[in-house]
Amino acid sequence: MPGADKETDLTERIEAFLADLKRGGSGTGPLRGSGEMARETTYLLRRITAQARWSSAGDLMEIIRNEGRRMTAAQPSETTVGNMVRRVLKIIREEYARSRGSSEETEQQESLHKLLTAGELSEENFRQHFVHLKANVIEAINELLTELDGTTDNIAMQALEHIHSNEVIMTVGRSRTVEAFLKDAARKRKFHVIVAECAPFCQGHEMATGLSKVGIETTVIADAAIFAVMSRVNKVIIGTQTVLANGGLRAVNGTHSVALAARHHSTPLIICAPMFKLSPQVFTTIFYPFPGSFSYCLPVLREILSKVNVHCPVFDYVPPELITLFISNIGGNAPSYIYRLMSELYHPEDHKL
Amino acid sequence: MDKDELVEYFRTQVRQDPEVPSAVAAIRTLLEFLKRDQSETILGLRENLTQTIRRLEEADSSVAVSSGGELFLRFISLTSLEHRDLSQCKKVMVERGELFLKKISLSRSKVAKLCHTFIKDGAKILTHSSSRVVLKVLESAAADKKRFTVYVTESQPDSAGRQMADKLQNLNIPVTVVLDAAVGYIMEKVDLVIVGAEGVVESGGIINKIGTYQLAVCSKAHNKPFYVVAESFKFVRLYPLNQQDVPERFKYKADTLKAVEDLAEEHPMIDYTPPSLITLIFTDLGVLTPSAVSDELIKLYL
Repeated sequence: MPGADKETDLTERIEAFLADLKRGGSGTGPLRGSGEMARETTYLLRRITAQARWSSAGDLMEIIRNEGRRMTAAQPSETTVGNMVRRVLKIIREEYARSRGSSEETEQQESLHKLLTAGELSEENFRQHFVHLKANVIEAINELLTELDGTTDNIAMQALEHIHSNEVIMTVGRSRTVEAFLKDAARKRKFHVIVAECAPFCQGHEMATGLSKVGIETTVIADAAIFAVMSRVNKVIIGTQTVLANGGLRAVNGTHSVALAARHHSTPLIICAPMFKLSPQVFTTIFYPFPGSFSYCLPVLREILSKVNVHCPVFDYVPPELITLFISNIGGNAPSYIYRLMSELYHPEDHKL
Repeated sequence: MDKDELVEYFRTQVRQDPEVPSAVAAIRTLLEFLKRDQSETILGLRENLTQTIRRLEEADSSVAVSSGGELFLRFISLTSLEHRDLSQCKKVMVERGELFLKKISLSRSKVAKLCHTFIKDGAKILTHSSSRVVLKVLESAAADKKRFTVYVTESQPDSAGRQMADKLQNLNIPVTVVLDAAVGYIMEKVDLVIVGAEGVVESGGIINKIGTYQLAVCSKAHNKPFYVVAESFKFVRLYPLNQQDVPERFKYKADTLKAVEDLAEEHPMIDYTPPSLITLIFTDLGVLTPSAVSDELIKLYL
């Protein structure tokens, strides 16, 4: 029966995706960039919308929410998965509201104004069936996919406003977004880049190679030298793994030190982060250890290795006071404005999946 | 409705239910006034209401009553824009008023639900004076089987901190009362500071029992997070830039304002804490950064 085939095909794909997520965390699978992760998640969600059995928006949202919960449980450090699920949930809510004909001004956001003027206790349960809802939702998800495809270019387009000739820019580790950003500016301006290598995986080396291939003068420095070199730096431009709800960052280990050094020298700290990295979480002290074991980088201690505990956190928290500007695909924003962007992207009930 | 009847109604509300926030009691009183009001025009209604609110503020000079009153006035204006006819308008107002009251009676639980996840196991919390919202937050955290200890400042001149300590002991939460002067001393031991607010001003700062500003400055100096928990009806359209800018009518108790000639001799009961010292504000509208507060107020008043 074709219906059953589709169902099994869908469940197979979801299981494959989940397995991939789990493997990515344990270091054995391919290390994927967050952009790719976001795209994969959105493809999968579009497939679920197209192939799963649902009759009303409420059912679809329940299905997507369940899958979303499983995905985030498989790999909690990969926040883009959860973000995409929330975006799709918001899309469904909007399309439902549009189909019902209610104006989009009946924003479902909580606000004092809404508390005062609401007519009845609006119990929106999304049970009505609409014929074109499926098509509308899929179209909206396609728009989301186009937006995702264009994020790196949109960010890179803003490079010329921020980078001027003969400037010294510092960056940390490897970020595809920052690489594209700097490469775009290099087409018209001449500047220097200092890359902190970011031990222990030293991804800064790859970044430096990539930048020098397009003719940017690059210098690689050890992490310990960041403070020492900071006085010569004009701007610090870095990427991040997640942007938190209060405007803080969860970025690769070592970023907090860079932020503090920049604050000490009053150097602007600019973050290049696409909107899909914006997460409704607020800072929690969950500590994500690096995948894989660390015996290889401590050869001297081989004899006493069994008696040594090696902690290697992957991520750092950078508070919003240390950040100057966020450059995203929708433009530049101050950290204190992030809460507003969040209310545009996600619905408050979806913050907790 | 006679002015004294009004004040009596307000006082009864507070007496019958000591848990009710004063702003809610004020709004209930105003709704009752609305039901009994005899004015023929919307303008007349507004004028009567403004006088009533002033009378209520004379009875209880806290910021919360003032913010509740202003919110109610705004509610009247917004509703009267939709319906031109007074009797129709009044019916809608009464309905919506009841609904509004029902919603805001749930605010405290919403705030508690948001905030208790920020309290980790083994946390040491410092709080100031007696706040029912903070109590609710700590209650939820304790119900969630979290283990934490609380330090409460004594909060003179009325020793409200001791009442808070008693209530916390009844919930089996380990609590210690500290002197107001010992805040700097104790700050290195605590993990986070949670306070309530009598009013949240437009800049994102708060107006709260005297001593809160000190607490905030200390916690900033030690890099400890300073959280404020407040319901959304406490948002008030003030923009003080320093302590002097807070209006006199809020600083002292209602009886003091009436009895005393020279207010310069009196000790203020509240102070203002600027938004730069506050980390996050937990409200029933969500977890807000101080800059989000003015956004909410703009959405309401403009």
